[in-house]
Amino acid sequence: MSEVFTKSMARNIYYGGSLFFILLFLALTFQTHQELPKRDNRAAITEKVALGKRLWEENDCIGCHTLLGEGAYFAPELGNVYVRFGKNKDAIKGFIASRPENGVPGRRSMPQFHFTDEELDAIAEFLKYTSEINTSNWPPNING
Amino acid sequence: MEYRSQSVAKLYFIAAIGLFVGQILFGLIMGLQYVWGDFLFPAIPFNVARMVHTNLLIVWLLFGFMGAAYYLVPEEAERELHSPGLAVALFWIFLIAGALTILGYLFVPYSGLAKLTMNELLPTMGREFLEQPTITKLGIVVVALGFLYNIGMTILGGRKTVVNLVLLTGLTGLALLFLFAFYNPDNLVKDKFYWWWVVHLWVEGVWELILGSILAFVLIKTTGVDREVIEKWLYVIIAMTLITGIVGTGHHYYWIGTPEYWQWWGSVFSAMEPIPFFMMTLFAFNMVNRRRREHPNQAAVLWALGTSVMAFLGAGVWGFLHTLAPVNYYTHGTQITAAHGHMAFYGAYVMIVLTIISYAMPRLRGQEAADPKAQVVEMWGFWLMTVSIVFITLFLTGAGILQVWLQRYSENPLPFMVVQEKISLFYWLREIAGLVFLVGLVVYVWSFFVKGGERRVPAAEPVA
Amino acid sequence: MAARSSGNTAARPLPGDLAIWFFILAELLVFGVFFLAYAFARAGHVELFDHYQQTLDRTSGAVNTLVLITSSWFVVNAVSAIRANRADLCTRWLLAAMGGGAVFVAIKLHEFMAKAEAGITLSTNTFYMFYLSLTFFHFMHVLMGMVILGFVAAKAYRGDYDADHHTGVETGASYWHMVDLVWIVLFPLVYVMH
Repeated sequence: MSEVFTKSMARNIYYGGSLFFILLFLALTFQTHQELPKRDNRAAITEKVALGKRLWEENDCIGCHTLLGEGAYFAPELGNVYVRFGKNKDAIKGFIASRPENGVPGRRSMPQFHFTDEELDAIAEFLKYTSEINTSNWPPNING
Repeated sequence: MEYRSQSVAKLYFIAAIGLFVGQILFGLIMGLQYVWGDFLFPAIPFNVARMVHTNLLIVWLLFGFMGAAYYLVPEEAERELHSPGLAVALFWIFLIAGALTILGYLFVPYSGLAKLTMNELLPTMGREFLEQPTITKLGIVVVALGFLYNIGMTILGGRKTVVNLVLLTGLTGLALLFLFAFYNPDNLVKDKFYWWWVVHLWVEGVWELILGSILAFVLIKTTGVDREVIEKWLYVIIAMTLITGIVGTGHHYYWIGTPEYWQWWGSVFSAMEPIPFFMMTLFAFNMVNRRRREHPNQAAVLWALGTSVMAFLGAGVWGFLHTLAPVNYYTHGTQITAAHGHMAFYGAYVMIVLTIISYAMPRLRGQEAADPKAQVVEMWGFWLMTVSIVFITLFLTGAGILQVWLQRYSENPLPFMVVQEKISLFYWLREIAGLVFLVGLVVYVWSFFVKGGERRVPAAEPVA
Repeated sequence: MAARSSGNTAARPLPGDLAIWFFILAELLVFGVFFLAYAFARAGHVELFDHYQQTLDRTSGAVNTLVLITSSWFVVNAVSAIRANRADLCTRWLLAAMGGGAVFVAIKLHEFMAKAEAGITLSTNTFYMFYLSLTFFHFMHVLMGMVILGFVAAKAYRGDYDADHHTGVETGASYWHMVDLVWIVLFPLVYVMH
């Protein structure tokens, strides 16, 4: 192909194409932010929920679990655990509090974090808040 | 090497390979924990092994990119590096900070590490791949700025080739996008939205510019094909990367609380993300076919071609398999994701770093190419690692298909832990493949110490 | 710097720089996929699509079709002009084509504003999602096309092209024709067919 296919035209397409799609993506991002209040359950973000998110991060729960499908694949999805546990915060708190210090022999084990009651409540609130975000009907079923 | 300051690259490459070995050891620990659940618990719980594995990966690849830049930029710019001293200083800062962080993960409970490093002042810890304490992240920014300054000044005062400029653009983009790692709102949906601005726009965006420019450099050097031709292809490839990949970010916005039109926009554009990778495959093979010389470093050529194939398979094909929203609805957050992730990262980024090391290291050590016996051993390393990754990916794909069927799709879906038990055979097979990978890595490292053999293609006179 | 076109046009199947044809193919691929997605979505929601299609301003759409076809004709004339070594005429035809583009943009903006005032967004329903996405995406291409024609017109004005060297004009023209072609498919598909 001895067609005239110049480097400068390729460069122009790179510049023009990139700029075009950066602008388009920014426009879609802007639109998304306008839509989010209807979907992201932000009204439920109390100080307790914010504390719960902080605890989720500072104990690296995402290192074993997924949250809305993102994270590690060692342990169950927790975006819908509030629903899976019968919309029962105490069930969540009880599960976390009852993890054996040295794990369960031979089975995948979750650490014992020695959370206070307030911290357990915050984590449960965070997971409740998460379960009420509009995720377009994901996950497909209760198992997450 | 042509310029004495290129020698700083050697430090970076050695560190990269050392950290790579560490990464794989922790990968093997995790693989074993998948089937022997409480292995090393509670001393090294799974999440700790995982953050060590993933953070080591990212850091060694960054060392590799920096080494690649320190090697190729002076040669492209036709002048010495602006400040070799700064490059060496930043090396030690990055290495020590990185090592301390990893040791922190291993020896301090994560919540304790958060308190120790005053995470509460600006909380950025506890997100996937961004587990580093905030102070480490700030250190990364400082190192990145220093690095960009050094490389930028070198290019500014020298020849501004397309390879140089595309590499610099990719590296600058990498640094700028990393700043989003500091944005951690209470709003989980916004948290996730911007997290992907780091992760997706890195690996499906600016990192591809880095990959493309390094590949172009190696092809120019090993094939002798006219620079104009290679640089033209590079522009087309990176154009397609950004044209597909920027809006392609939407394939991470299907199920995290963002509006539903992303299911359409993300599917349409991300479906086309394999195109630049396919073009890279055509590009690499075409240039090698049109070569004007037989370069004595056949191992480097093998790595370059291998990168283009594996990147296409891992990132392109495996990515495509689960990118469309109707499919992703069922596969989101499963072993399918892990399968793609491993082959994509290995094929694109691990391999391009090993490609540049393969090309540059002999030259940094005073030869145009490694001794033939060393190259043979290196190529054994290539095949062992590459074939192992293919098997790891196939086994995880098998695990994933079964997991999706049992846990998500079938009429009577089973709970997560029950399904994990049922697919454990695939995990055992994956671990075996992982062990073979480690053998391949050991063989690869050993190749740096092998000497001898007769050259069929005479090397040029010893490089200064 | 405009690329040199070969004097022997019979040997070259495609006008303009080949790079733009890769890009045009990619563009057609994206739009094609979007159109297919539209067809697929419509098949699942025929009543919804038929109902909301009635709310579209078909008159504006039809006028815009004529506007774009006319501007494409202007571009054809621009290419003929430069082939006859008339850079001055070429510039004027290109400006006329850009004028046509501007008319399209104005009419389109009017359409978008009307929808915005009615509170219609990308998330209102699937039909509107496609309507807004497809027309906005195309709209951005019209803008891009005008930018490209602008660059080409500027170069023509500066005397960078002549009868033997005008690949840039053909390249820009090809892109504009693609934008026109996409609209010619989009308009009946989204505004009319039910």
